[in-house]
Amino acid sequence: MIGRALLFAWIAGWTIAAFAWAPLVPVLGETTRVLYFHIPAAWITVLALGWSMVHSLLYLRRRRLEHDDHAAGAAEIGILFCIAATASGSLWAKAMWGSYWNWDPRETSIFFLLLIYAAYLAVRSAIDQDERRARLSAIYSAAAFVAVPFLMFVVPRIYFSLHPDPIINPRGKIDMDPRIRVVFFALLIGFTALFFWMLSLRVRVARLERRGLAAQGGAS
Amino acid sequence: MPTNPSSSAAAVWAVLRKECLSEWRTRYGLNAALLFAITSLAAVSFSIGRLGDRSDVLAGLLWIVLLFAALASLAHAFVREVEGRTLTMLRLVAAPTAIAIGKLLFNFLFLALIEVVTVPLFLMLMGAPAPRWGSFLALLALGSVGLAIASTVVGAIISQTRGRGALFAGTSFPLLLPVVAAAVSGTRAQWNGGSVDAELRLLAAYAVALLAMSLLLYDHLWED
Repeated sequence: MIGRALLFAWIAGWTIAAFAWAPLVPVLGETTRVLYFHIPAAWITVLALGWSMVHSLLYLRRRRLEHDDHAAGAAEIGILFCIAATASGSLWAKAMWGSYWNWDPRETSIFFLLLIYAAYLAVRSAIDQDERRARLSAIYSAAAFVAVPFLMFVVPRIYFSLHPDPIINPRGKIDMDPRIRVVFFALLIGFTALFFWMLSLRVRVARLERRGLAAQGGAS
Repeated sequence: MPTNPSSSAAAVWAVLRKECLSEWRTRYGLNAALLFAITSLAAVSFSIGRLGDRSDVLAGLLWIVLLFAALASLAHAFVREVEGRTLTMLRLVAAPTAIAIGKLLFNFLFLALIEVVTVPLFLMLMGAPAPRWGSFLALLALGSVGLAIASTVVGAIISQTRGRGALFAGTSFPLLLPVVAAAVSGTRAQWNGGSVDAELRLLAAYAVALLAMSLLLYDHLWED
């Protein structure tokens, strides 16, 4: 309860700071602020996918349904953050590059992650029985895991970046104003905590649902 | 369950022969796939016309036609077993990995057969400039290996779900995307006179990595 209130206050406070306290970057202007929300969302997209895949592999090894709950929960929350990152990035691209979508390497890789999430959840939704769903979706997840690094290598060969990306650029990060950096990392931590809190709720709900079903099965 | 290499090779060979035989008896899968590939090729050619001077577009279109052909037909090998209720019998006589490799080889042959018909037709209908045959055929071969490996994994999973055919296209696309991306880039390069070594290496590396991963996974494929 206290943790939840603290998390809420932390994110709300730093969001206000992002608008009221942190300065704007000259070239980016008002669009600077997308940095505080878009990059954490993109980071959680990758984190959630990694979390989901690791738990898929653990499920195949240990056959405990809790691992499947983690894999499914991380994917369900991850796709929300992935959509948020894609939408905010697309809006930013419209403001800075003049078009919503241009298959820039970053856009291509986030689209690919979105595809993997959607396909994984589609596989899950098409199987009724718990163990079978856990096993088959874990197999799918592990196979998709192979494709991720390859696409990261292939994409830059085919699509050239329309624009030097002023945010991802590591040199830009060093030049970052200290106030921007503080707000950025504070929100990165805040959103990461938010993800793990949501995940723990999702896992708890899945466990309770299963226990409820088992109790019903036992009663009838 | 056969464990020593000679008997599992024999099992793979037996599965492959059985696949070819049962396909040859009806030929309905092959006919449908060829018809589909030619239909999508005709649709592309009909709506765009000859594009001899745009080899960059041609490379993309060629692989879209081949991707569609693969998506339309390669789930068939596993789905047929489930729909014909022959999977249980098959599982009794061979290990899951042997079944999967046998079906993978069958899928590759199947795709090669479709390409033998589709690719020359594509080159003629679209008025494509003559490809550099060595690089072009190497790209086609490695690309088809990649498509076959990825769609065999996904087909094996999908055949056990409710959606089956309907789910196959969407779920195999993420795994096919690296193959298509590298193959398109290579095909474009060979028409423009560039080197295709990097793309061939990428295709080979992806095929090996995915094959290795799928061999680890096939043991978990059937348990109930």
